[in-house]
Amino acid sequence: MTFNSLTFIAFFAIVWLLHNLPFSWRTKKINLLIASYVFYAAWNPPFILLLWASTFIDWKVAHWIDRTEEPRRRKQVMLLSVVFNLGMLGYFKYGGFLLQSFQALAAGVGIEYTPPAWDIVLPIGISFYTFVTMSYTLDVYLRRARPGKSFLDFALFVTYFPHLVAGPILRPTDLLPQFERESRATAQQVKWGLMLMTLGLFNKIVIADGLLAPVTDKVYGAKDALPMLDAWLGTLAFSGQIFCDFAGYTTTAIGASLVLGISLIDNFRYPYASIGFSDFWRRWHISLSTWLRDYLYVPLGGNRKGPGRTYVNLMLTMLLGGLWHGAAWTFVVWGGLHGLFLVGERLLKQAWGRLAVWDSWPGKVLLGALTYALVNITWVFFRAHDFPNAWRVLGAMLGFGPDGKPVLTTWLIVSVTVPIAALLATHAYMRERDLHVEIARWPVALVGLAWGAMLFLIAATQGGSSAFIYFQF
Amino acid sequence: MPSSISSSDGAREARIEPGQLGALPYVRPLPQMRAGAALLIAMAVFAIALAGWEAYWRDWGSEPAIRNSPGLWSIQRRRIDHGEGDRTVIIGSSRMLFDVQLPVWERVGGERPIQLAIEGTSPLPVMEQLADDPDFTGRLVIGVAPDLFFTGFTYVSDKYELYPKETPSERVAQRLSMNLLEPWLAYYDEDFALITVLKRQSWPTRPGVPAFMSVRKLAVSQADRGTHMWSKVEDDPEYARLCQRVWAQDFGEVPFESADVLQKKIAGEIDRAMKAAAKLRAKGVQMVFVRAPSDADYLAYEDRWFPRATTWDVLLEKTGVPGIHFEDHPAMQGLRLPEWSHLAAADAGKYTAALQPLVEQAFAAQRKGD
Repeated sequence: MTFNSLTFIAFFAIVWLLHNLPFSWRTKKINLLIASYVFYAAWNPPFILLLWASTFIDWKVAHWIDRTEEPRRRKQVMLLSVVFNLGMLGYFKYGGFLLQSFQALAAGVGIEYTPPAWDIVLPIGISFYTFVTMSYTLDVYLRRARPGKSFLDFALFVTYFPHLVAGPILRPTDLLPQFERESRATAQQVKWGLMLMTLGLFNKIVIADGLLAPVTDKVYGAKDALPMLDAWLGTLAFSGQIFCDFAGYTTTAIGASLVLGISLIDNFRYPYASIGFSDFWRRWHISLSTWLRDYLYVPLGGNRKGPGRTYVNLMLTMLLGGLWHGAAWTFVVWGGLHGLFLVGERLLKQAWGRLAVWDSWPGKVLLGALTYALVNITWVFFRAHDFPNAWRVLGAMLGFGPDGKPVLTTWLIVSVTVPIAALLATHAYMRERDLHVEIARWPVALVGLAWGAMLFLIAATQGGSSAFIYFQF
Repeated sequence: MPSSISSSDGAREARIEPGQLGALPYVRPLPQMRAGAALLIAMAVFAIALAGWEAYWRDWGSEPAIRNSPGLWSIQRRRIDHGEGDRTVIIGSSRMLFDVQLPVWERVGGERPIQLAIEGTSPLPVMEQLADDPDFTGRLVIGVAPDLFFTGFTYVSDKYELYPKETPSERVAQRLSMNLLEPWLAYYDEDFALITVLKRQSWPTRPGVPAFMSVRKLAVSQADRGTHMWSKVEDDPEYARLCQRVWAQDFGEVPFESADVLQKKIAGEIDRAMKAAAKLRAKGVQMVFVRAPSDADYLAYEDRWFPRATTWDVLLEKTGVPGIHFEDHPAMQGLRLPEWSHLAAADAGKYTAALQPLVEQAFAAQRKGD
């Protein structure tokens, strides 16, 4: 079920009620676990079996690793978990992609091959929960953590509904300690949680779906050449749409969890105010970037084996990070571009990074604007459904190709420029600030007015329970 | 990537701190403010703003009604697969949806049909779906709006696309919406959604971008998709003229790139209908095509590009399915169509009373033919 649905409102009300009845902590956790399975099964009940399998296997494997001293044996057992999780991910997510790629490769060398139809439904959130369970096993393997003592706590850690289908990608240490001892939400946590849920749903329903998605769809759905203005506006709209959609999901998840008295980590920190790509990845999908850092980049050698190897590791990490998002070469290119920009940034820093101008206000604005512009270039490949689509939009953005036919009406132009300007101003202002600190500085009446206005705009926009973009990953 | 990846400080990577189980739990920082007061103000602002918004739309002429949503369509579609597959089913586009009054049909014929017509959309995808559904063995009334049927036009495919993949969550949301919100809120209609309202303001026209008006709210539905024309279309001449202007946007040019392409499209759609009809007939389903009334400029447009002789008559001949054309029946003439395409609610009742016996006759003739 999606957060922006009536079903979730009813579901959450029941969960909250049960969680506040005078049950034991263990009973409350069992309630949360059952609720989380209901949350997942409400989309497609049979796929809950995969979730159970992933939970059970990683629980067993982690304990097995912990009992095993012999290094080679430990590695073999760890690989069991990796092969199972990545195998499951590969089958459901990448099977069709691999077949198509093989078909294209065969055609390239003159072999005609028609693969069988691959009508496999992608289980929602599979990329997220496989990474969550793998991190548990890998942490135990790397002796960063001991396996948990309670299967109930572990199952709830994997399945806990706020983060289950679209993150944040949690580590055992993010949640298990909270499950070990009883916690009851304070009144302040409940109210702040509700405010965050409102903010998250406002981002999703009003900004992402209501204002920006129609612009993106119009531009990326155009069959003919586009003018530069329309191409840029469509891509800027997508930059805002994907942020408000994904950060909206995360903010709602954090808020819902806080209402239940459980704290989730941040996943975004105003990424469009980033100065450089390393800064961007400290602010965008933080839980994924730290996961890739700890379980891929560092094991590959990180930056400990010289500059050349560092660049290779960066590229590999980002290419695989791109592929994690979707089974298509466009996502690989997206990841590859981010890798190139990260490498380029390192080289430029070595050459000119010490110049005083970069610490000045105009210098920072210039670098921030450049970063945002380049991030938008990468979004083209993320949003386009294929390469011809991407080249058409990118060509128009960069002024190549024929001047096309405009597709955006005046209203659509307004509906992208106003929210994007507001979004960039907010990110710039909040770059070094925290929301809970900033909100506390506002007059209470202003907070209430803004909160009530967001609630009204959500209700007036109506929405349509459309799925969050990251559900497909 | 995260700091350590992009940092040249190797030592930083060595300090990865995933923590240990048993570590102190993470506690999210909270704002130091009077959040209770903020919540109270927020609730008051929300209640006042929403009440004002609701009052505005009621004053404008809206009234609470069940939304004609994909979920509502699925509820009716599901009846076929849950024991009512032998029923009379109505498919078609908005004319069959608005013009056929289910209570009148039931009063005249004794059976309340399942209403599966979809506005702005050719019935052929649904006809094909029913042809392939072993649970459907009933009787089929198929509406033919020439400009939709013979072009295969699809305005809202999400209705018939949702049914096979509807999730339990979506089913529950539909039930909650139609029981807790829709019967009480006049503003809760996709035509009055805030973004739609903003979009329909008179924004300056951008050179090179055609200013195309989308179809306005025309009808009011009930829980079984029984639907009739919205009173505002009947009573507000200015609104009716707006609806006419929306239709008239299509009247100037040939549908598709050229008349040749259109003829090929018409032939293709008739071919689809032939195949679906053959499948339905093979499993004993009785069928009838129905051409509901249209008027004035709309009728002229249809007659120009979809003349009866080359569309309707060919369809009946090639499929072997009988048809009921409004022009052939005096009781279906002279009815009121405020925006040229759909009958006023009262006249829809008269039309249904005239149509139902003719449909029965057509079915009876097929039974004798068996």
